Amino acid sequence: MSAVPFLFRELLGTIRARSAVAFLLTWLFLFVFLACVSAFFLLVPTHVEPEGGVESLPIVEIRAYLSPRLSSVTIDELYLDIRERSDVSSIQFRFAQEVRPQATGGVFLIRPMAPERAEDLGAILETINGVTEIEEVRAEPDQTESPLSGAIRIVLLVVLVAAIVLAFLFARRGYRELLRSFAGEIRTMRLSGVPERVIVPLIVGLGALIGMLAGTLLLVVLFLLHYTLAAPQAAATATWAAGLASVGRVLGVSFGNIFLGLVLGGLIGLLGVGILGQREFEALP
Amino acid sequence: MIQVSELHFVTEDGIKVLEDVHLHVEQGELVYLLGPASSGKSLFLGLLGAHVPPQRGQILVHGRNVVRLSSPKRLELRRRIGFLPQGFVPMARTVHENVLFKLRTLGNYREQAEEKAILALEATGLIRQQGVSATELSNLDRIRLGLALAICDAPWLLLVDEPLEGLDASEAAEVCAAIDRVHTGHLTVVVATRGPLPSLTREHRTVSLLDGRVSDE
Repeated sequence: MSAVPFLFRELLGTIRARSAVAFLLTWLFLFVFLACVSAFFLLVPTHVEPEGGVESLPIVEIRAYLSPRLSSVTIDELYLDIRERSDVSSIQFRFAQEVRPQATGGVFLIRPMAPERAEDLGAILETINGVTEIEEVRAEPDQTESPLSGAIRIVLLVVLVAAIVLAFLFARRGYRELLRSFAGEIRTMRLSGVPERVIVPLIVGLGALIGMLAGTLLLVVLFLLHYTLAAPQAAATATWAAGLASVGRVLGVSFGNIFLGLVLGGLIGLLGVGILGQREFEALP
Repeated sequence: MIQVSELHFVTEDGIKVLEDVHLHVEQGELVYLLGPASSGKSLFLGLLGAHVPPQRGQILVHGRNVVRLSSPKRLELRRRIGFLPQGFVPMARTVHENVLFKLRTLGNYREQAEEKAILALEATGLIRQQGVSATELSNLDRIRLGLALAICDAPWLLLVDEPLEGLDASEAAEVCAAIDRVHTGHLTVVVATRGPLPSLTREHRTVSLLDGRVSDE
């Protein structure tokens, strides 16, 4: 029978007021750290819908899909004909699958000389024998200004660094208090031949648990913000927190936070493992 | 069975603590190792208990050569050796919980651990104090608890370091009586002490450790 679950419960049961406060602060600062990291992913600029809709955006590329039955000679001739046109800026040949996975044959990627004449060019290309489909690619809509100005980014970075440093400092204090109360148990384990591979995971596991809980709390907070603030006022929120308005993004960031929390918590746990090397924890005095 | 031969130990300062030590202890034997302070008794027990890596010589404990044991095998051997260290400090739990903790730590199920804990506490005469906080125990009961911890998981070998320290003559006699009680069956027991030994009832052997050498008295 593995003694690890029993020992982990015993270790948690040894947490007293002083170590509890230190671990609570560790958890809080890890939460702040993860929240700062999330801000960089969720407070992102969004695209501005143009006044006349997407259709009003200029055409920057025309994709002319070719019949797969065309011979290479015909394709070459078509290529040369289109390239010679005065309303064409550049033309490239690609296999259609490179652009659209389920398509067959080839495709010309044509850049018009002037966007305002691109629609006419598309109409002409559509009439060419061997061209099966025309696709117009429009310019990306403008982006809003990032809600994170340079100053805010610097503040976030400072808070981020301070939070992780404080988390480590409080974790060290918490571990020192906790392991002092658990010293007799550690000595007994070592005296009885319990391997370090049983003792060490207890200490690292506690750190990982704290990190995971910080990530989980942030998951709850982010989803609360999403459903109470971002989702009901999606348009307004999209201008300053486009990431928060997208449930997929919130989910991704949340799980990323839990994973990051686990890793950071594990690293914090290694601080505790370092303390285990002190003389007071040796099996024989 | 313990077989020690040509055992040497030199400290980092170059002091020879053990010098060509030979000792043979039969299975089931009770041996008192007598020696003055700093004569190397604790070190010797540490070597027997696979806690201190030997420098030179051979130590066989129940057929296992301690010198050549890999780290996992050494830990496995430690699980079969009950060790009551000098100046033993119990965990801040009740007497019963102290023994239970060790047993659960060694992988015993709760029911099994409860059963073994009761047996160990009965053998050491602590059953009535099982609910008492171990930190409130007298010196004598603290040693009894250490013995209970050492024997609770049916070890092959029991090593007891300086159990009579700080006890008066009557308490020392009680500790020796407790050792006598736990020395049952095939359990080999080695007790290191400065002495003096109270009048002992059970059959035992006394060896002395002086100037780094062990000799029968």
